[in-house]
Amino acid sequence: MRIVVVTSGKGGVGKTTTSAAFASGLALRGFKTAVIDFDVGLRNLDLIMGCERRVVYDFVNVVQGEAKLTQALIKDKHVDTLHILPASQTKDKDALTEEGVEKVIKELEAMGFDYVVCDSPAGIERGALMALLFADEAIVVTNPEVSSVRDSDRILGILQSKSRRAIEGRDPVKEHLLVTRYSAKRVEEGEMLSYKDIQELLRVPLLGVIPESDAVLHASNQGVPAIHLKGTDVAEAYADVVSRFLGEDKPLRFVSYEKPSLIKRIFGGT
Amino acid sequence: MSEEVRFESGRFEGIVVRSPLVSPARLADVLHKRFAGTESYFGGEPAVLDFSEVSDWPEQVDWSGLVAFFRRLGLQPIGVRGVPESFDAALKRLHLAVLDEAAMRLEAAATPKPVKPPPPPPESPSSAEPLVPAPTKFIERPVRAGQQIYAPEGDVVLLAGSNPGAEIIAAGSIHCWGPLRGRVLAGAGGNLQARILATHFGPELVSIAGIYRTFENGLPASIANRSVQVKLQINQGQNQLLIEPIDTL
Repeated sequence: MRIVVVTSGKGGVGKTTTSAAFASGLALRGFKTAVIDFDVGLRNLDLIMGCERRVVYDFVNVVQGEAKLTQALIKDKHVDTLHILPASQTKDKDALTEEGVEKVIKELEAMGFDYVVCDSPAGIERGALMALLFADEAIVVTNPEVSSVRDSDRILGILQSKSRRAIEGRDPVKEHLLVTRYSAKRVEEGEMLSYKDIQELLRVPLLGVIPESDAVLHASNQGVPAIHLKGTDVAEAYADVVSRFLGEDKPLRFVSYEKPSLIKRIFGGT
Repeated sequence: MSEEVRFESGRFEGIVVRSPLVSPARLADVLHKRFAGTESYFGGEPAVLDFSEVSDWPEQVDWSGLVAFFRRLGLQPIGVRGVPESFDAALKRLHLAVLDEAAMRLEAAATPKPVKPPPPPPESPSSAEPLVPAPTKFIERPVRAGQQIYAPEGDVVLLAGSNPGAEIIAAGSIHCWGPLRGRVLAGAGGNLQARILATHFGPELVSIAGIYRTFENGLPASIANRSVQVKLQINQGQNQLLIEPIDTL
């Protein structure tokens, strides 16, 4: 079993959107996948996955021994091999203990899961530390702006000092960079950092670039992970991300901007 | 497992702070520039505060303020030297050792006596300089925002550079292969010979032996992202930072 943390340091960059899409993508490939919401107190993942009305027990209930893991895991309505472990809305972040999280992870392994995706809260406090503690790999979600890049850098440093792998001196957590909310047009106009600038700064292998799109907003309002939005660039970009994560070679898409030609500008069309 | 408790005579490394000032406020003023406002400049080393250079002792000394000040710098004051006896009671209350007597006893122990000497204070005057060169710290991964690399003795070699918001502090020189960003302080113990060498120069602050420079308005094109050396040069009796590109022929 591989444990993948989706983290960023900064809030609002697309961690939960990415966790939902990425976990769904792994499940679509046939892997038995669990996605855990570590944002205790501000649960969002269940909304984006469209299962908020089926939440009876949550992660904290399991950690505190009030419910069994099998009772709290919610089966995804789109993909059979995907399960969601929602966060609690009423408890605070201190409810997550190291032993409790470890117990849940061991149990997931015993249940035969291939991947566990941990959706980290923003910040560098307890919740975020718990989310990255057991990680084998990390997807660091970054927006093309300086403060987001700085926070990602900070969280990368924490990954390499506070994760179990780091503490026990095992092979380091494998790092992946995912640039989200990317607008090739605004990069072209010099308003945004390019993905190359970001990669040069962070020096982490690039897993993908997700274009800025209204489709993401629609998807989260409808409770559908973005990867299921057939025909959108966002869904395709996330599918590429999953492919690259699994070791397939996919060229980057949606990163260059072509000015609309004169004819297009006059007659419209796409 | 053995439960035997052993008392061994041993030496340990520490820092001696020789200060002609005893007012925490004055010290803060004087040292603010030296450490460029860096909190926890040191890495928690034990420290002996030596006040034998104080010429005019005031009636009252804010000892707890002094201890707090040095703690903020990242030192752990364990004792004092060169303090008039009238302060003994105050020092005892703060659990600070008065080390003058111990140092004297150590000297007495040099004449043959069948008594085992007490553990010497750190860096006693009789301690010989170690012949082994100070170890170099090699850092293979990028030093990231919020991370600090601290080498209290030797050099630091960064093999993957450092990022904005990182802090590199070395008693010796700092060598960087790759982008050098963040705050970079060489010669932290006062070593005027220390240098900073980088293949891709771009820090927010450089300092050698406490003489520092910030680059608020960006770096001059002649040094930005180029191979650069930073060292001290004496100009009209003053130490000045010299920051210049390294000519790669």
